Amino acid sequence: MDFPVSHLPDGVAVLRPAGKLNMVSSGALREAITGLLEAGHRRLVADLSEVTFMDSSGLGALIGGLKSARQAGGDLRIAAVGEQIRMVLQLTNMERVLPPFERPEAAYADV
Amino acid sequence: MLTGIDGTKALTPVHHDAVAELARQRALDELKVLGTGPVERFDRITRMAARLLGFEHVAINFLDHDRQWTASRTSDAVYAERREDSYCDVAIQQTGTLVVPDALLDARFRDNPLLETPAGMRFYAGHPIASPNGERVGAICVSDTVPRPFGAEQQTILRDIATWVQDELALTREFAASAEVQQGLLPKTLATVEGYEAAGVCRPVHAVSGDFYDWYPVRGGAAFTLADAMGKGVPAALISATVRATMRAGSRYDGVAAAVESAADALEADLEGAATFVTLFHAHLKQDTGMLSYVDAGHGLTLVVRADGTSQRLASTGLPLGVGWDAAWDEEEVELRHGDVLVSVSDGVLDALDGTLESLVMVERAVRGAAPKAAAIVEAVAGLAGPTAPDDLTVLVLRRLPGVPLGG
Repeated sequence: MDFPVSHLPDGVAVLRPAGKLNMVSSGALREAITGLLEAGHRRLVADLSEVTFMDSSGLGALIGGLKSARQAGGDLRIAAVGEQIRMVLQLTNMERVLPPFERPEAAYADV
Repeated sequence: MLTGIDGTKALTPVHHDAVAELARQRALDELKVLGTGPVERFDRITRMAARLLGFEHVAINFLDHDRQWTASRTSDAVYAERREDSYCDVAIQQTGTLVVPDALLDARFRDNPLLETPAGMRFYAGHPIASPNGERVGAICVSDTVPRPFGAEQQTILRDIATWVQDELALTREFAASAEVQQGLLPKTLATVEGYEAAGVCRPVHAVSGDFYDWYPVRGGAAFTLADAMGKGVPAALISATVRATMRAGSRYDGVAAAVESAADALEADLEGAATFVTLFHAHLKQDTGMLSYVDAGHGLTLVVRADGTSQRLASTGLPLGVGWDAAWDEEEVELRHGDVLVSVSDGVLDALDGTLESLVMVERAVRGAAPKAAAIVEAVAGLAGPTAPDDLTVLVLRRLPGVPLGG
């Protein structure tokens, strides 16, 4: 899986994984997040609008990315989640830690 | 039999051969490769060998007691069924490749009955296949009805392919043994808690599962756990075995929340190091009252299907273990009345159905449709998923037996 990265005017880096976010593809997402943090980015958003299915490994990649981002003094937020991802977040109660935003632009509107 | 100086019996060469054959036969039996029908992982190898070596006839044969089993073949070539007629049996007597350029010119083969048929093997090259402990249990061979050249490079390819088959056998054997150990860790019956029955199933998508279920007696009743480690396969299975042991070690705590918090503390570094997390349902049953206190750590897939026709999805309020935030787990309570069924499933059940929470309606329907026995309910719920579930699948059922009417 390829992760196109774009940058919003306020400096937020947006990752856009596509397809299935599972055991096969979650490693690449982790690496992309690590790469952005190492390049000095602190405010990251995963735009999940193109992700059709996310399993526990995909969720694990987001949790790991969030941990890394916070350790680096930054944050990882998620946006544009579909029904299936929303259900995974609800079942695991992880929406409390990773609340989904409507659009990537809205993820850091509070800061 | 020879007698040694000290009076002990020494083995004659004939006995040595018999003992060696016993060891070889046992190694073959342990691999459990016989009588399983066509096996795609072998067929893939023989197909590739045929293409690489330019032979139509390629086979993998195993030598079992007095007969030969053909585990894979690329053509309808006839291979000996009696071991005494088998070329591969000669091949496994040596460590290197056996090349028979023309069987009619070879004293070992020219009387072979198969040579009298049109499909008889004039040319044969076979390389032994060894079991993980080095016993030569079979061979991979190429053959033709006419003599053919077989050069050093082809011999090297055949040897490499034989090694590939060996690696497949070793890996399969290891997976099978791991699966046996893991299934052995699952509880069998809930004999100690009268008035209740429990059953479960844990069906891995690969050899071993990242889910598990467990129960064991605790003071005044029993404890139950269903947990699901992130991912699947061996990495998830290693984590799930660690979680199981840690949860059991916490069973001395009276409260379920204390047990989960203690386990979460103990597991934190391991889960962090492995970059993984675990969802978990953990409950204590009080035998006399039917009160079930539980913690749901991000699992969310537990139902109570009641005898009065209602049902209830148990609240899931806690985060999974290993997500790294200071999490507290709230203890909830639910009463199991006579005839009620608690059913907890892993998300493999969801994935196998439509992937949404609507699947839980189907789970409830399966519970009600099954015979009122824990084992039958487990079978019905697991059956929803069909034989090709995309994820590990685990079902745990606890059923309180219907009450006996007083003064009946």
